[in-house]
Amino acid sequence: MSVIEALKNALPKASVLATEEQCRPYECDALSAYREKPLAVVLPETDDQVKQVLRICKAYQTPVITRGSGTGLAGGTLPLKNGIVLGLSKLNKILKIDPLQRIAVVQPGVRNIQVSEAVRQYGLYYAPDPSSQIACSIGGNVAENSGGVHCLKYGLTVHNVNSLRVLNMDGEEYIFDEKDDGVDLLAMLNGSEGLLGVIVEIKLKLLPKPEAAQLVMAAFQSVNECAEAVTAVLKQGIIPAGLEMMDKFSIQAAEDFAQVGYPTEAEALLLCEVDGSHDQVQVDAKRVADILTAEGAYKIIVSQNERERVALWQGRKNAFPAVGRYSPDYYCMDGTIPRSKLAYVLEEIAKLSKKYGLRVANVFHAGDGNLHPLILYDANKPGELAQTERFGCDILNLCVDVGGTITGEHGVGVEKLNSMCHQYQGAELEIFHGIKAVFDDTGLLNPGKAVPTLHRCAELGHMHVHHGELPFAHLERF
Amino acid sequence: MQQQFNQMAEQIKEAAVDQKTLQIVGGGSKVPLKNDAELLSMAAYSGVLSYEPSELVITVRAGTTLSELHQVLAEKNQMVAFEPPEYGNSTIGGTYACALTGPAKPFRGKLRDYVLGTKLLDGQGRELNFGGKMIKNVAGYDVSRMLAGSKGSMALVTELSLKVVPLVEEVTYRIEMPECDAIVLMNQMAGTSLPLSGSAYYRGYFYYRVMGAHPKQTNRVGVEAVDNSIWQILNPFKPVLQPGQKLWRLDVESTNPCIDGTLAVGMGGTRRWISSKNKPEHPYVTLWDDRFLPRHNDGKGVKKIKQGLKKVFDPHHVFKDL
Ligand SMILES: Cc1cc2nc3c(=O)[nH]c(=O)nc-3n(C[C@H](O)[C@H](O)[C@@H](O)COP(=O)(O)OP(=O)(O)OC[C@H]3O[C@@H](n4cnc5c(N)ncnc54)[C@H](O)[C@@H]3O)c2cc1C
Ligand SMILES: Cc1cc2nc3c(=O)[nH]c(=O)nc-3n(C[C@H](O)[C@H](O)[C@H](O)COP(=O)(O)OP(=O)(O)OC[C@H]3O[C@@H](n4cnc5c(N)ncnc54)[C@H](O)[C@@H]3O)c2cc1C
Repeated sequence: MSVIEALKNALPKASVLATEEQCRPYECDALSAYREKPLAVVLPETDDQVKQVLRICKAYQTPVITRGSGTGLAGGTLPLKNGIVLGLSKLNKILKIDPLQRIAVVQPGVRNIQVSEAVRQYGLYYAPDPSSQIACSIGGNVAENSGGVHCLKYGLTVHNVNSLRVLNMDGEEYIFDEKDDGVDLLAMLNGSEGLLGVIVEIKLKLLPKPEAAQLVMAAFQSVNECAEAVTAVLKQGIIPAGLEMMDKFSIQAAEDFAQVGYPTEAEALLLCEVDGSHDQVQVDAKRVADILTAEGAYKIIVSQNERERVALWQGRKNAFPAVGRYSPDYYCMDGTIPRSKLAYVLEEIAKLSKKYGLRVANVFHAGDGNLHPLILYDANKPGELAQTERFGCDILNLCVDVGGTITGEHGVGVEKLNSMCHQYQGAELEIFHGIKAVFDDTGLLNPGKAVPTLHRCAELGHMHVHHGELPFAHLERF
Repeated sequence: MQQQFNQMAEQIKEAAVDQKTLQIVGGGSKVPLKNDAELLSMAAYSGVLSYEPSELVITVRAGTTLSELHQVLAEKNQMVAFEPPEYGNSTIGGTYACALTGPAKPFRGKLRDYVLGTKLLDGQGRELNFGGKMIKNVAGYDVSRMLAGSKGSMALVTELSLKVVPLVEEVTYRIEMPECDAIVLMNQMAGTSLPLSGSAYYRGYFYYRVMGAHPKQTNRVGVEAVDNSIWQILNPFKPVLQPGQKLWRLDVESTNPCIDGTLAVGMGGTRRWISSKNKPEHPYVTLWDDRFLPRHNDGKGVKKIKQGLKKVFDPHHVFKDL
């Protein structure tokens, strides 16, 4: 019997997709430049079915690539030819809401936005809000430790998860709870990119909805001034709920697309939102406006009501598709840098843009140093994708060189394996492989993702290999 | 300092060869030494390595005392949001190793939430760097958060990068009421937009602490403003006990009803301090005395994972047991 037959015997008919046509939609995630048709796609409806799938795949030594909504931007769900895709979209129930305790227990396929919608009636919400929140799943959020505009103040996914129920490749169940003592396994499962276990249940922390929020928009004549202004706000003791920056190209594209009144002549635009109690917001919005004016903003708009606030956000929220209109394809990078290096990094990116002959727009989560350069390219032009990838890789290396990191929120997946070799040395990578082996000694869970083989880094010239002797020589190299 | 760093790495390497156990000790250690353990003292390995207030990040050597850390931050009007308890000469390394967090935990988060990166010496004496200085970083497994709570059993933590926050003004209020009512009320209040940074129950009073600008609380029935000292009494909590009584720390759901023998309720209801002779029947209980006694409530599977991880970080078993 083949693994597909075994899966078909164990699961409802509609849960196993194996034809070319059925598998096609699962060939890639939102990083569509990488594609592969899986052996089959399995869509279980219950925990027990997930366990069965894992046991069957273990018996057949079939790799398992867990998938939430497939909105990942780093190729984390890229299938393997000989592997199955374990789609969790049918595990989509909110199991429990306890407004007094401020928690929700959900299955992994629940979409991010659904949680806030379900608890709105209690004046609560779920804080992490990736821009993909209408589509991405909570399971995917945990696996990627996703963040959103509100990260600086309210944290990433890891800060908002109280406990996880996880299955290993044998289908055995683990519970990782914030109340556990000793090493913090719950923290490590967040951001583990489907390599350590399949997350089947999540207890989320809910927060009270802030009473009020106000947005301050400020325009600057230079990027540097804008970056300095951000620094000044934080230095004065204000932690904004959102702090977003756009460069000239992004401002023009966003305004052209959404017509919200952004000053298109500005070199840099800052959107700073404060939230909290009515009293606090009034105090903070005024202080922010004063600080930004003192720092050289030549135009300031403070939202006077909810409608204005939402309207002013529209440009930023649509920045990616807006920029996308200028080019057949775009590639979104995700490095982080210390803010003090912003002007330097943007200059270097501009130089690289000239070198590669590819345009770049910069959108930036200014509060937490997360840069999202969008590289415009045309996939139909031979060689242009490869150029784009090299350009992207150069940007990430630059981020590491100024003290930052290669990914703030999108994860490593298959996309940033080379860049990982720039950020981590051999010994750390060995530890990562060791951790993987503790959780998954079969190596069947999402193989080849997130942590590069030592061999790969050696080939890239980032690792010293003495007499051809590699550490972990017994590990498969590909 | 580099010399001391090298010496520590050497000490670990030698212990690996000689099959010795090392007991890492921070400041005014409360750790009972195993007879056969050799001391690895972190106390002198201290000092701030970098501090950029506008980036909200500080990097310190692990032997830095909490009092030094607080002072450096206060000069720039900042603080560590997790309010670690201070026991004499507590070091930030020992605090991290014990994952100790104070009263604001349900509101501002716990220690590991503010860890951005660590530098370590593993059980082979290798220098390792995990995480970094960025608030957002999802490259590789989150080892620097995972090791919070590892209690000197996995690796020697030599440096820590922490996210810091602005110092805030805080006001404490209290209301006299029965404990069971207070537990419900503290949960209800945590679901409102009042900017809370602490709530507790102690000796007949429900206490809550509010940050920054907020509506005047003394208009509420029975509320009085008091000073902030209650949070020091509860953190670290060191009650005088009757002979034969022991102090237990229970971690529970915030809405857990009253428990017999409770001396204090902290952290929005999630922390209960109990005095009793015997171990309370409860899944998350720690005996709290002047000795370091780790809790062993792990299920079989979780235990296996922890033991596996210990082997990854400390293959020659240089550091003490989990
Ligand atoms: C279960 C428990 C009970 C406690 N009970 C009390 C109590 O009743 N009274 C009290 O005053 N305090 C108590 N403490 C607090 C604790 O021991 C100290 O507060 C400690 O955190 C202060 O730092 P220190 O530098 O003195 O750490 P130490 O006491 O020196 O060390 C604490 C632990 O951290 C490890 N460690 C220290 N530095 C490092 C490092 N750089 N890298 C890796 N590991 C390190 C040690 O090996 C040890 O396991 C308790 C802690 C625990 C976990
Ligand atoms: C337009 C757009 C905007 C975006 N904006 C943001 C943003 O603001 N912030 C941000 O952080 N990200 C953003 N993303 C990226 C993406 O949405 C997030 O990474 C999201 O968390 C992925 O969720 P998903 O359910 O789609 O996961 P998938 O793409 O299906 O999977 C992602 C990874 O998680 C693993 N995985 C999924 N579910 C599980 C599970 N239950 N157990 C174990 N492993 C699992 C997969 O194996 C894979 O490695 C954006 C993406 C798009 C397309």
